[in-house]
Order: sequence, then C-alpha cells, then structure tokens
Amino acid sequence: MTRRLATIAGALAFVALLLGAWQLGALYGAISPIFFPSPVRTLEELAKQVADGRLWQPLGATTMRMLWGWFAASIAGVVIGAAIGLSRTAREYLEPMLEFLRPLPASAVIPVAVSFLGLSTQMSTAVIAFGSIWPVLLAAVHGFATVDPQLAEVSSSLCLTRWQRLWKIALPSAMPDILAGVRVGLGIALILAVVTEMQASLPGLGQNILLAQRSFKSPELYAGVVVLGMLGFIANQLILGIERRLLRWRALPE
Amino acid sequence: MIQAPVIEVRTVGMSFGNGTGARAVLTDISFDVVEGAFLCIVGPSGCGKTTLLRLLAGLLRTTTGVIRCHGEPVTVPSRDRAIIFQDYSKALLPWRTVANNVALALEACGVEEPERGAQVSALLRTMGLTRAADQYPSQLSGGMQQRVQIARCLAQRPRILLMDEPFGALDAITRQGLQDEVTRLALELGTTVVFITHDLEEAIYLGDHVIVLAANPGRIVERIEVGIARPRSQLATREDPRFLAHRHRLFDMLQDH
Repeated sequence: MTRRLATIAGALAFVALLLGAWQLGALYGAISPIFFPSPVRTLEELAKQVADGRLWQPLGATTMRMLWGWFAASIAGVVIGAAIGLSRTAREYLEPMLEFLRPLPASAVIPVAVSFLGLSTQMSTAVIAFGSIWPVLLAAVHGFATVDPQLAEVSSSLCLTRWQRLWKIALPSAMPDILAGVRVGLGIALILAVVTEMQASLPGLGQNILLAQRSFKSPELYAGVVVLGMLGFIANQLILGIERRLLRWRALPE
Repeated sequence: MIQAPVIEVRTVGMSFGNGTGARAVLTDISFDVVEGAFLCIVGPSGCGKTTLLRLLAGLLRTTTGVIRCHGEPVTVPSRDRAIIFQDYSKALLPWRTVANNVALALEACGVEEPERGAQVSALLRTMGLTRAADQYPSQLSGGMQQRVQIARCLAQRPRILLMDEPFGALDAITRQGLQDEVTRLALELGTTVVFITHDLEEAIYLGDHVIVLAANPGRIVERIEVGIARPRSQLATREDPRFLAHRHRLFDMLQDH
C-alpha cells in the first residue's frame, strides 16, 4: 500500500515538474504568449469555461461522438471477430484482406465517408467506427481462434450446445484479448472524433481547438488540449477498471 | 449369473492419416465391461490408451470395428459417459469459480436455479470442496483441481466414468486418497469405470479387471481378473499374495513388450 502511494506521489511530482518548467518557460518569454500561454493562464481559462458552463456542450458532444463510434466498433468487432475466429476457412479467406485494411490510416477514409454521408454526425461515427474496429476485430479473431483444444473436448463431452460453447467457453476465453482490443480502440476513437470535428466543422472540442487557434486565443486552445487529455485518461482508466473486474481470475494470490 | 455387458468393444482399430502415411494406433481391440465393474487399462506411453478412451467417450470415431454402450453404437459424446481428463488444469474453466465450474455440467443439462445451486452444494460436499467453492482453479492444489473435475463429471450423473490417467501428476499421498474416494463413490453409485493408467500397481489396486496394452501398434497382450473384493485397503490389498502375484506377472509382461 505504501509502495502504491509512493508511486502515485512520484507520478504527481513529475507532472508538477513539467508544469513548473512550462510556467518558467512562459514567464521568461521564451515563446510568445500569443502562441504559448502559461499553465496558470490555461487553467484559468479552463476554470472560467467550467464556471460559465461553456465547456460542457463541446465536451459532451465529443465524448458522445467517441463513445458511439467506439461502441459500434466494439460490438461489430467482437461479432465479426467471433465469426472469423471460429471458422478456419473464414480465417484463411479473409485474413489477407484484413491485413490490407488494418494499416490503412482511418483519416484517409474521411473523404470517402464525406462523399457518401456528407459533413454529418453519421459520417463522423462511421469514420470513428472504421478506425477503432481493427484492434477489437483482430484481438477477437485471435481470441476465438485460440480457444484451448482441451476446453473444446470438455465442451463436447459435456454435450454443450453450439450457443453454450460460444457464450460460456469461447467468449470468456477470448475476453482478455477483446478487452485489450477495446481499450486501444477507445484511444483511436478519441483521435478520430477530434479529427472529424476539425475536418467537417462538427461541434465539439476538436472544432473549438481549431477555432481558438485561428483566432489566436491560445489559452482556449491549450485548455481544449488539456480537457482532451483528461478525457482520454479517464476513459482508459474506466476500461482498465472493467478489465480488472472481469479478469479478476487472472491475477490471484496463489 | 451372466450380465449383459454395458460396454462392448469389438475388433476396434484406429489409424491416423490415410493412404501410405496412415499410422495404426490401435489394432484388434475387443473387450466387454459389465455394469458396475472397474476396468483398468495399463500400458506404456504411446500404446494408444488415451486414444482408446477418447473412442469410448465418442470424441473420436473408430476406423474399423465398433464400440457399443448399453447396446447403442458410440459415435458422439453422451452425458451417460463422463470423461475425466488427465490435464485437470486445462480441463477447468479458469474464469469460473469452483462452484461455477461444477455448475457448468448442470447448465449443459438444463438444470435451473435454485435446483442447480442445491445440486452443486451437494456435489462440493461429496468431494470435500465446500470451503473452496468461491475460489478459482488457479488458487487450488492439483489434487483439489482434480476433485473439481470429478465433481463436474458426477454432476451429469453418468452411468459410465472414463478416466484418463487422472492421478498421474499428483503426489503419492493425494493420489492414494483420491483412489480410495473414487472407488468408494463408484461402488456407491454403481458406476461402471474405465480407468487408464501407466502405473501397474494402481491398475491392479483399483481394477476388477486389468487389460495390458503393448505399443506399435496398440494391442491387447494380456487381461486378468484381479479377484480381490472391493472396497480394498491401501495396506492390506497391496500386501495380498494375489496382488503381488499379478504384479510380478504383469511387470514381466510390460518389460517384454
């Protein structure tokens, strides 16, 4: 416990150190405050946005954008991943195609999505879903394809139905892979939420940052970046919490 | 009185691969097991004894010959025949607690709560697992894990229990305890048991009958009736002159092949 506290204290000290360096750099005018505000100015701006409520709408918009795209990608990724992972034939036919699509930068499909769906929220959701499906999908394929053969024999000898095998054996056994995949996917979803907002002028933190930069409101710009950082951090912590709960059995005292 | 056999194995052969690459694993295996009997199959590694057990379970299909249980040809697994796997650590679901691992067999049979919970508690009590009910398999010793697997098999109320070297990886004291417990349970429930082992003494100690297999290809070289009444005793039975006589004869036989 004390070791845990020491770790947290150390991490916080490092953050304080960086903030101090930033404050000093701004104070001595190393960079013009028009482009680079001090952390105090940035946090003041943030506090003001919280106080007058200007923060919540764009924050909510970006969060929902990220969550919807990610949620759709996670569900589709697990379902398609299960279908591919459980069938050897499907794996052999589809894996080369997946390997072609996976490294494709999701931002490259934005023009394609725009030409089909316009500068709309649906376009944004589609791009986010396309980008964040890969880690989930590939993890699910791997997870479902590598169910222990001994457990397959156990399922046969207990006469489990196909549905029971899928639900009670294959899914839980693929769960560690899937959870790692959805966590990576959430990070990608946040990136793409911001990128699509900037590209398509959709309301949200991404658009606000862009507008702040164009009108030289650097504290606003940096406040937006800080909020995005916190959003990503909190989202990641939430999934880690779920992971710890669902995979309790993986880290047990002997 | 002559009983109709529960298990009939008739000139069973099994080979893997086909054409010129085919490798015969078992040839010309025939035997019967009567209701409630305890049959041990002993042989060196590579003699196909695990393959034979998987054939009996219906996890594999015979290449030639036929296996019948209760008069029906065996082609697929049935709840009537439970199999206890050698590698208990892989045969349990690591993400389920002990109680829920046992419950899996009842879920497969469609037993609903609260009946399921009651049956699980009873099985855990039978196998001495009550205190471990909420633990995960990785927290248990090998002997305890094997108890969980046995409890799960008993949950489906099989008439035939197939055991694949279930105690091979356990220490001597744990092994003896489980040997006596399994034979006692089988006797109480009237379960027919086919037990695979590479340990000759274990085979004679447990079995009403012992079949000896030789390797390349796997075939029956000897079958004996042990002729010592069950239940047996770890000390008295192992000092019984009949036990020693069987041991001598079969020991030489395993050496020769």
